[in-house]
Amino acid sequence: MLVGTATADDAGVYRVSAELALIQTVDFFTPIVDDPYDFGRIAAANALSDVYAMGGLPKTAMNIVAYPYDTLGPEPLTAILAGGAAKLHEAGVVLLGGHSIEDDELKYGLSVTGYVHPGRIAANQGLQPGDGLVLTKPIGTGVINTAIKANLASAQTIVTVTESMATLNKLAAGIMANSTVSACTDITGFGLLGHLAEMLCGTGTSVTIQAGEVPLLPEAYTFASMGFVPVGAHNNRNFRENMVQFLPGFDPVMRDLLFDPQTSGGLLIGCPANECRRLVERLRDEGVSAATIIGYVNTQQDGTITVVEK
Amino acid sequence: MRKMMKTIDARGLACPAPVLLVKEAVDVGQATEMTVLVDNEPARENVARFLGSRSYKVTVDTDGSTFTLTASGTGAGEVAQPVQPAAEANDATHQKIVVLVATDRIGNGDDELGQKLMVSYIKTLKEMGPDLWQLIFLNGGVRLSLRSSPVLSELQAYERDGIIVLACGTCLEHFGLTRDKAVGETTNMLDIVTACQLADKVVSLG
Repeated sequence: MLVGTATADDAGVYRVSAELALIQTVDFFTPIVDDPYDFGRIAAANALSDVYAMGGLPKTAMNIVAYPYDTLGPEPLTAILAGGAAKLHEAGVVLLGGHSIEDDELKYGLSVTGYVHPGRIAANQGLQPGDGLVLTKPIGTGVINTAIKANLASAQTIVTVTESMATLNKLAAGIMANSTVSACTDITGFGLLGHLAEMLCGTGTSVTIQAGEVPLLPEAYTFASMGFVPVGAHNNRNFRENMVQFLPGFDPVMRDLLFDPQTSGGLLIGCPANECRRLVERLRDEGVSAATIIGYVNTQQDGTITVVEK
Repeated sequence: MRKMMKTIDARGLACPAPVLLVKEAVDVGQATEMTVLVDNEPARENVARFLGSRSYKVTVDTDGSTFTLTASGTGAGEVAQPVQPAAEANDATHQKIVVLVATDRIGNGDDELGQKLMVSYIKTLKEMGPDLWQLIFLNGGVRLSLRSSPVLSELQAYERDGIIVLACGTCLEHFGLTRDKAVGETTNMLDIVTACQLADKVVSLG
């Protein structure tokens, strides 16, 4: 076993031979958008992301379905599975099968298996002082999904957030594989700072996050400033607050966004400073347009995250 | 106009349910006074934020387990324009400039003039606007970060505006001035090198 449960990594990694390691992961959840096809796409992008975040290539997948046949009928399920299949096709992944059960509450996700060279694993720990931190997708999906429930989000924002969540981390991972990378994770339920805390936990490494550089989804700030913040953001903050230092007077709205739970978020990549700007340029050139340097590893060595405004 | 009172009991509900209930009430009625009961901290914060964004004045009382938010206002749906953070507002034009200051005076010729020029330079730096990212003092430049600095209040104002002000720790120690530093964080060479590498532009003085 190369990566297991001890480090809160995105997926497990098992060495098969000197040249080959197996990556396994599973992820499923309840619907976060109304359209069943979009939900399928997002759930698949989210499940595949764990393999990309380990620096691997996903190869095979199995569907996991919990479904209320009696109340919904077969059509939505067909659309969900078609959405998932479209993303698997885009990722070059073969669907081998799956398992479904009757349930009052709809849930969909996948178990994904991939490969990685044992020497090319991008584990979530390994950040070095002097590294820059690159984020590949904007944040704010939790806040916007809350605003969608309140009928506040514009049609344009709904489209933007749906496409962001359905975007595979494949392109970003491919570019990362050809760069020098010290650590990587994907940003999901624990929010940007929660997953960053996992990268630091137990290592003594310390980072500075420049809040003004963090890319936000459209309207995310507006909705957060109106109080449409999911309880998960608060739980994430309570859990990791002891590791995070906000400068006095820091904007509480931005603070909540930095802990906002993300669905199918981007990759957070640590990379030596001299390579960092080139990595961002390559990501942007190839279409990962949100890619931004959002902070750096400092030399405090006390395992803390310092959040500054810019 | 008749006063419209409304009470919303959102106890036992987790976010975003309380704020959704309050939004519904604000959207349908023209309640001028409203009392909202919640029993957890995130709900208190989010409901207060929402009512504030709709131009209500909000006061909060608590008995330890229940928060009582009392709001008054027009509730006319006047949505206050929130301030956009830098990332959303001016992403395209924004760059990061590091200014390295390794002396407390500018140029050679006359030291008194050189010191005046430095004071003027530090004061004028604010013209860089949001592009000014970090201001780093090294060698004799660390004197500008001391209690006796002629630009102390300017540097403190920069720091309040979110500009990172740093003073080289080795330099402060060398001059025996570590205790006299009155603004900025102490830094070291690796952090300085990293900042210069991540910056779009580095301006170096002295």
